[in-house]
Amino acid sequence: MRTISMGQSVLIAVIKREIDRMLSRRIYFVACIVLPLFSLFFMGTIFGDGQMENLPIGVVDGDNTVTSRQIIRMVKVDPTFRVTQYYANETEARADVQKKNIYGYLSIPVGFEAKVMDGKEVALTYYYHYALLSVGSEIHGAFQSLLKNISVSPIVTHAVALGVGEGEIKSFLLPVTTQNHPLFNPDMDYSVYLTHPFFFVFLQVLLLLVTTYAIGSEGKFGTSFEWLQTAGGNMLIAIIGKLLPYTIIFIAMSIFANYIYFGIFDIPMDCGFWPLNLTSALFVLSTQALAVFLFSLFPALSIIISVVSMVGSLGATLSGVTFPVPHMYAPVYYASYLFPVRHFIEIGQTLLYGNYGYAYMWTNVVALLLFLLLPLLLLPHLKRSLISRKYDNIE
Amino acid sequence: MTILNNILAVSVREFRVMCTRYSILMVLSGGIFLYGLLYNYMYAPNVVRNAPVAVVDMSQTPLSRHYSRLLDATPQAQVLTNNADLQAAKKLMKQREVVGIVYIPEDFDGRVGRGEEAVYVMYSTTTAFLYYASMQEASAGAMLAVNDEVRPNQVVFLPQKDIQPIIRTSSIDVVGMALYNYTDGYGTYLIPAVLMVVIFQTLVMVISMLSGKEREESVSRMSLHGREETTAFRFFTSLGGGDNNENHRVDLSFSRMASIVLGKTSVYVLFYAFFSVFLLGLLPLLFQLPHLAHPILIIQLMIPYIIATSFFALACSVFFSDSDAPLLMIAFFSVGLIFLSGVSYPLELMPWYWQWTHYLIPAAPGTLAFVKINSMGADMSGISQQYIILWMQCVGYFILACLAYRYNMKKALPIA
Repeated sequence: MRTISMGQSVLIAVIKREIDRMLSRRIYFVACIVLPLFSLFFMGTIFGDGQMENLPIGVVDGDNTVTSRQIIRMVKVDPTFRVTQYYANETEARADVQKKNIYGYLSIPVGFEAKVMDGKEVALTYYYHYALLSVGSEIHGAFQSLLKNISVSPIVTHAVALGVGEGEIKSFLLPVTTQNHPLFNPDMDYSVYLTHPFFFVFLQVLLLLVTTYAIGSEGKFGTSFEWLQTAGGNMLIAIIGKLLPYTIIFIAMSIFANYIYFGIFDIPMDCGFWPLNLTSALFVLSTQALAVFLFSLFPALSIIISVVSMVGSLGATLSGVTFPVPHMYAPVYYASYLFPVRHFIEIGQTLLYGNYGYAYMWTNVVALLLFLLLPLLLLPHLKRSLISRKYDNIE
Repeated sequence: MTILNNILAVSVREFRVMCTRYSILMVLSGGIFLYGLLYNYMYAPNVVRNAPVAVVDMSQTPLSRHYSRLLDATPQAQVLTNNADLQAAKKLMKQREVVGIVYIPEDFDGRVGRGEEAVYVMYSTTTAFLYYASMQEASAGAMLAVNDEVRPNQVVFLPQKDIQPIIRTSSIDVVGMALYNYTDGYGTYLIPAVLMVVIFQTLVMVISMLSGKEREESVSRMSLHGREETTAFRFFTSLGGGDNNENHRVDLSFSRMASIVLGKTSVYVLFYAFFSVFLLGLLPLLFQLPHLAHPILIIQLMIPYIIATSFFALACSVFFSDSDAPLLMIAFFSVGLIFLSGVSYPLELMPWYWQWTHYLIPAAPGTLAFVKINSMGADMSGISQQYIILWMQCVGYFILACLAYRYNMKKALPIA
C-alpha cells in the first residue's frame, strides 16, 4: 500500500512540475491550444460550403444560332457552372484557362446547327482543367452528364418525327444503362470527405512535435536530472507524469473538434459519442507513444525534432485520404501501417460511414494499442541517456 | 562600401553556421533530398488501376457474364468476384476487400431481349474520391462496350421502313478533353505543388531555427563556442567597428539591420538556388512530371519566391525564441499551404479571409505560379498577378524583417 501511495504522490509531483513548465513559456500555450484551434477552424471553413459549385467557365460560341444559345442556357442553369466569359475563338479561351480565370470551356463549332439539321456529323467539345485535378474532374463530370442527352437528340428527334416512340428509340440507343451511387457521401461534399481526417492529420503533427519537445527540452535546458529526481528515479512515472497534461489537453481538443464538426457543422456520422471519442483518445495516446519511441531512439532534441516533423508530414500522405494507399507501391503500403494516423483514419471511415462495428476495426484498434507498448522497449535507454547527458549538446 | 562589407561578413558567418549545425543539415538533406525523392516515389503509381469490385450477378446469363468480363477488362477496375450475393458483397466492402459493388438484377438479360431499358446499379465507397472516379469510368466504359455489341440485335424492335433513315442520322459527338495532365494522374497534379511547398517549409524551418538560436544564445550570453563575444547579435553589432572597443554604441540603424537581412538572405538564395535545380529541374525529369516551363522562366519565378520566403521567415523570428520550438509552429501546416495555394480546391469557393491569406504567405502564390508555368505552360503574362504579389511581399516582408531584427536585438542587448 505504501509504495503505491508513494508512487502516486511522485506522479502528482511530476505532473505539477510539468504544468509549471507549461505555464512558464508561451510556446506551450501556442502549440497546445492556439494551433489546434486554428487547425479546427481552418479545416472547418476552408472548403466554404463543401460543394464545388459556381465554378467559373467559358463558352466559345462559333455558331450563334438558336440551338447554340439553347445549349448555352442549359449550361448556365447547371449548378456546377458559372459562365463568366464568352470568347470569339478557342485561343482566347485557352489563354484564360492558363491564367486560371476559368476552369474549363465548351466549344460550339461554326455551322453547328446546320449540320445537326442535316444529320451530318458534328462534334461538341468541352475542355477541362486537369492540372488542377479535383476541380477538373468536377467540370468533366458535370459536362458529361449535361451533354449526354444532347448527344443523341438528333436521332431521337428524327425517330419521333418518323413515328417511333421516344422511349423505344432511347432504349434502342442505350439498351443497357447504369445508376451510380456514391455511398455515404452522395453530394460528393468536400467537407464530409476531408475536414475530419485532415484535422487529425494536423493534430498528429502537432502532437508528435509537442511530445518530442516536452521531453527533449529537459536535456536542452539541462533539467533532466531534476526531472528524474522528482519522479523518484522512475522513468515510467517521469514519462507518464510529463505527458499526462498534454494527453488531457489533446484529448479534450479531439472531443471538441468532433463536437464542432459533427454537432455544429452537421457533417454526417453514423456512430455514437463513445466509439468516436474513445478511438480519438486512443489515437492521441498512440501518437504520443510513437513520439516517445522516436525520441528515445536518439535523444537529441534538435536532430530528432526535425525527423519527427518529417514523420508527421508523411502522415498526411500515408493516411490514405487523398490517394488510396493500397494502390501505392507495396513498400509504401506496408509502411503506412507504421503510422497511427493511418489506423485512425481507417477506424474513422469504418465508424463514420457505415458504423460497421468493432468486428471490422479491431485490427486497427489493436495496432493502436501496440503503439503504446513501443516506447517501453526504449525507456531504459532513454533513462541512461538522460543521466549521461551525452546527447544534450548535439546541435 | 561598409554596407557591402557588412553584408559579406554576415553572409560568410551565416554560411559557416549553416554548414556546422547537424540539425540544419538534417532538415536540408532530409527535407529536400529524401522528401523530394520519397514523395515522388509514393505518388509514382499516379492513377488508381484495378480497383477491386464485387459483381452481384443475379441474372446469371451470358450477357451479364459478358458485362462483368468487360468490366474486368477496363484498366480502372478488377472484378474480385462475380459469385457473391449482395450480403456477401457488402461484407467484402466493409472488410475493405472491394471498393465498389455492381448489382445486375435478375431481369437484366430479359429486358434487353424484350427491347426495354435494362439497368444495373453501381455502388462505390467514397473513402477516397479517386475510388469513386475510377469506378464511374470503369462502369461507364463497360456499359458503352456492351451497348455497342447489343444494339445491332435491337433493330428488330424498330419499324422496318424507319431503320435506314434513323441509323443514317448521326449523333452529336461529345468530346471531353483534359487539358495539361495527359496521364490523368494524381501525382502529376499534386507533386509540382508539393515541391514548391517543400521549398517554402524547409526554408522557413531552417531560418527560424537559425534565428531562434541567435536569440537563445543572446539570452544565455554564450555561443556554441562558449564565449559571449561570438554570439550572433554581438557579432552583428560589432560589424564594421574595426576595433573591439566595448564602449562603442550599439548601432541599430535601419541600414545595419538591412545589411544583416540581406547578408543572411544571400546565403539562403545561394543554397536554395542549388536545391531548386534538384527539386524543380531534376526530379520532374526523373519522374516524368510535367516540365513545360523554360528554365529561364522558372529562375525568374524562383528569385522573388526564395527572397520573399526568406524575408517572411526572418520577419517571423519575432515569435521564435529558441531553435527547436519554431518547428512546432511550422511543420503542421504543410497540407494547409497546398489548400491555400488554390491548386487542390478552387480559391473562388473559399471564404474571403482565406483568399486574403493566400496573398499574405509567399508559398500560396508561388506554388500557384509554378503550377501555371510548369504544368500548364503559361508564360510570364499568365502569372503576372502572382509575380507582382511575390515582389510586393518581398518589399513588405523586407521592412518587417528589418524591424523584427531591430526588436530582437533591442530586447537582447541591454545597452541599446
